[in-house]
Amino acid sequence: MTSRCILQTALLVYFCTTVLAMNYDLLQFQLSSSSVECQELLLQLNGTSKGCLKDRMNFKIPEEIKKSQQFQKEDIIWITLEMFGKTSDIFRRNLSSTGWNETIVEDLLATLHRQKEHLEGIMEEGNFTWDHRTLLHLKRYYLRIVQYLKAKKYSTCAWTIVQAEILRGFFFLDKLTGYLLN
Amino acid sequence: MLALLGATTLVLVAAVRWMLPAAAGETNLKSPQNVEVYIIDDTFILQWNRSEPSVKNVTFSADYQTLENDTWVKLPGCQSVASTKCNFSSVKLNVYEEIKLRIRAEKDSHTSPWHYVDSFTLFGKAQIGPPKVHLEAEDKAIIINISPPGTKDHGMWALDSSSFTYSLDIWKNSSSGERRTKTVYPRDKIYKLSPETTYCLKVKARLLPRKTGVYSPVYCIKTTVENKLPPPENIQVDAKNHIYVLKWDYTYENVTFQAQWLHAYLKKIPGDNSGKWKQIPNCENVQTTQCVFPKNTFRKGIYLIRVRASDGNTTSVWSNEEKFDTQLQITPFPPVITMKSTNDVSLRVYISAPEESENKPVNHHYPLIYEIIFWENTSNAERKIQENRTDFTFPKLKPLTVYCVKARALIQEGKWNKSSVFSDIVCEKTKPGNTSKTWLIAGVCAALFSIPVVIYVMKLLFRCISYVFFPSSKPPSTIDEYFSEQPLRNLLLFTSEEHTERCFIIENRNTITAVEETNQTDGEHKKYNSQTSQDSGNYSNEDESSGSKFSEESLNQETE
Repeated sequence: MTSRCILQTALLVYFCTTVLAMNYDLLQFQLSSSSVECQELLLQLNGTSKGCLKDRMNFKIPEEIKKSQQFQKEDIIWITLEMFGKTSDIFRRNLSSTGWNETIVEDLLATLHRQKEHLEGIMEEGNFTWDHRTLLHLKRYYLRIVQYLKAKKYSTCAWTIVQAEILRGFFFLDKLTGYLLN
Repeated sequence: MLALLGATTLVLVAAVRWMLPAAAGETNLKSPQNVEVYIIDDTFILQWNRSEPSVKNVTFSADYQTLENDTWVKLPGCQSVASTKCNFSSVKLNVYEEIKLRIRAEKDSHTSPWHYVDSFTLFGKAQIGPPKVHLEAEDKAIIINISPPGTKDHGMWALDSSSFTYSLDIWKNSSSGERRTKTVYPRDKIYKLSPETTYCLKVKARLLPRKTGVYSPVYCIKTTVENKLPPPENIQVDAKNHIYVLKWDYTYENVTFQAQWLHAYLKKIPGDNSGKWKQIPNCENVQTTQCVFPKNTFRKGIYLIRVRASDGNTTSVWSNEEKFDTQLQITPFPPVITMKSTNDVSLRVYISAPEESENKPVNHHYPLIYEIIFWENTSNAERKIQENRTDFTFPKLKPLTVYCVKARALIQEGKWNKSSVFSDIVCEKTKPGNTSKTWLIAGVCAALFSIPVVIYVMKLLFRCISYVFFPSSKPPSTIDEYFSEQPLRNLLLFTSEEHTERCFIIENRNTITAVEETNQTDGEHKKYNSQTSQDSGNYSNEDESSGSKFSEESLNQETE
């Protein structure tokens, strides 16, 4: 009787973990496909690289993101939420100097928004902890980008630099979301 | 004496020294207590308690220090403050930066020791203030327009203004006020209200992770008189081949309809997005409760659709905004199945996407799940499984049996699901089992080998039996070699024929009874008998000549 109980419990735990594992797998699939779409859209925005070398800036992306240190799965989702949200915020600012195709920017914002909604839905339901420090560092990083854009008065070169920086951020984010798979 | 003086001086000095602090004790200040930082939106307040309330004319001053810069800087708005709180909102600081504060009491030229506040970030301590709400009434709905808390472009929530989610409480102003709580967008509508009724509401903002703001003040508004024309209801979008069909319900006739769309993400951004609604092609001034537009009108994404009716004179209000996700509208194409039988009596199934008629393959954000129905060709029992892999095996089947399979693709997201039609049925026969095959071969070989063995054994057995029970009367061959002559042979061996002879007894010398002899050999024997008259018995002999010789010899021997 006991052994049967143990067997049933073991099976339950196994299937639970399988189901949870599958949830993260599905989420990772969705996140990585959103990320790929965003990067493709960003690359379609034509940037002028000539004469912008002097405008280069070290925005100091947080070390823990750059080193792709292994975070908890919930922290990865918070980080993704933060990065998608702030990227969305940046690309809603004054883009008039760039001459970028508006529909591409709209598609980018739509993709970011869709993924954000999905993640917010997940995080609102559960009782998840979060890593204060990393999120703060990320907020500081994006503030630096926004302040840079304001200081450069949203010039074409400034936007080109920012476009490259955001792409770089997606690259690091992809590595992080890879940790959602076991 | 001198020693006495010295000792007294020492005591006096010590006493004075001890008394001096006590004397200055009236002005020896203690640092303030219970120092707290309160931040709401862009207002930063430092608050504390006096440690000595009785002491008058005490002022307080505070400094701050960033982690990068080691120097203490005077905190603006908190210098020589007489009360127990100060507002340092004017400080130019990065809200995400860690800072330290210190505060002390001052009176005249005396100061208390510093009281240090542990390092913190302004953002971390900040609370979300009340949002600002603007209302507009319709007959059965209220339009709300929420402005995020804080100042728009700079300040605490500069980068988070579009990340807020708003929670709204609404109730009827009458006595039995049932409260309804909803999550709303910055610019949203609250439906299902009664006309000509006063409703009151309050809103609070939330920011993930766990920051919940303070409620706004209560706003009340009265809904208008019921409109002549109600708005359309039950808006649906169906996808068919290359078109979308937008349908809705409407009770009245002789009206024209107008449909508009908006990017869903714009709803999350505060501000007026009323100008961003765009007309759906083929859906302006339609007289039916549906309109059709091509699929390429909408790129991949989430949109909102609204419809209103007009009878020429009056226009209805806009309908509910229906969410329309292009990804979920796609009816997936049926998959293509290939099935192969493998050596270990299983069937391996490969599912592939069909060739699209359009040049760009559909890239689903929601991965496809396949529903596979699997059955034995002869029976009706179907097995239904759901698989997200495209390459899998049905193991441990019956050998040499035909199995059939059909599948369809599913997209599922929450309560949404869309499935394709079933694919063509594919049937395949399983191979005979490896083990049974081996047994078969082994059996055949064994049979082949065993037949001569059995024959040989049977033969031996038969020989043995016949040797024991039915011995052969044939002489061994060695005898033949030695005894080639017939008579000797006859002597030694039994003959098969039995010679019977009639013997005759000679009783009378004179009378010679000719006795028949059955001796078939010769008449010479007869002759012999007549010649010898003695009482020599006749010896029966086969061979006449030898016998006669013998008998002659014996006679001679006897007579001699």
